[in-house]
Amino acid sequence: MRQLAPLVVLCLMLAPESALAGTQEAELSAAEVDHLSAEVAAQLRCPVCRNQSVLESSSGLAREMQSVIRDRLASGETPEEVRAYFVGRYGDWILLKPEPKGINLLVYLLPAAALLFGGLLLYYRIRRWTGATVSAPEASPAGLEVPDADAAPTEGARAAELPSPDADGGLSEEEEEWIRQQIGSLG
Amino acid sequence: MKRFGRWLIPILPIPALALLAFGLTRDVQVLPSAIVGEAAPEFRLETMAGDSLTLAGLDAQVVVLNFWASWCIPCRQEHPALVRATEVYDDSDVRVLGVLYQDTPEGAERFMRRFGGGWETVLDPGTRTAIDFGVYGVPETFFIDADRRIAYKHIGPLSWEILRTKVDSLLSAGGA
Repeated sequence: MRQLAPLVVLCLMLAPESALAGTQEAELSAAEVDHLSAEVAAQLRCPVCRNQSVLESSSGLAREMQSVIRDRLASGETPEEVRAYFVGRYGDWILLKPEPKGINLLVYLLPAAALLFGGLLLYYRIRRWTGATVSAPEASPAGLEVPDADAAPTEGARAAELPSPDADGGLSEEEEEWIRQQIGSLG
Repeated sequence: MKRFGRWLIPILPIPALALLAFGLTRDVQVLPSAIVGEAAPEFRLETMAGDSLTLAGLDAQVVVLNFWASWCIPCRQEHPALVRATEVYDDSDVRVLGVLYQDTPEGAERFMRRFGGGWETVLDPGTRTAIDFGVYGVPETFFIDADRRIAYKHIGPLSWEILRTKVDSLLSAGGA
């Protein structure tokens, strides 16, 4: 039951929104009409100012549009119906945020696709760069290749020849003998 | 993969540049209209003389519905074209009707006295009819055919040539 609590809270938070989407059964109070008309006006572009919403604009036409929105909501129309009325008159242009359908989908999908593509490109590039750094010692340049491995053992080969140290860190007799041999060979 | 990558990098900005070029070559003054081709919104408005007038009640094959205001400078520019239209189409089935946009009847009367023209103008309280027609500003002119469908819309000052071309095409379409 405790696990369901966040779900219940979420449902309560979403409830007014979903109620608005349907037909408004009950008559709205003046405050509700105010709130809703401001919400719709904020979504519509002012035909005079163009870069401002109907709510922000102080042009005469925007003010009249606000009163049309208010009257339509007060007469029982839903915010969706009011928006549809303006789209029917001015086209999709009137909506500040285009509906995510048809060609408009590009506006929403293109940035995400570009980000994904760029991210993937970056990921493979970085992987190639770091991969190249790690594998560099393995691939020795052709000019530096040692023709006879016995004549001069490489660092790797010498390390392989080294007997492993004891668990307590001290040297065994065998190891000491090996070191003496090595020093002798240098002299 | 390496060869593909070498070509891909220079090609990538091309769609973005094409989109930018498309956007920059558009005329910002050309605004979309959802209402052209649709039935003209019905209205019942009062004339400056105080009579009630409806679109359906207009007995004319072509209606030239002109939204204007006395404070609008481009309206003065197009005014002679409308005066000429009322003279040329006097015997034809064409009706020029003005809709006053955010203006007072006194202002409109002064304008008509000063610049001439005797066609009727209706008042639009609350700009409701202008919003119904999707008007952005004045002047804007709607050419309405015999079926009361909006055949054309003109934003900005009309010239006689534009006005004549549109009216004649509607008259010939109606007569055919």
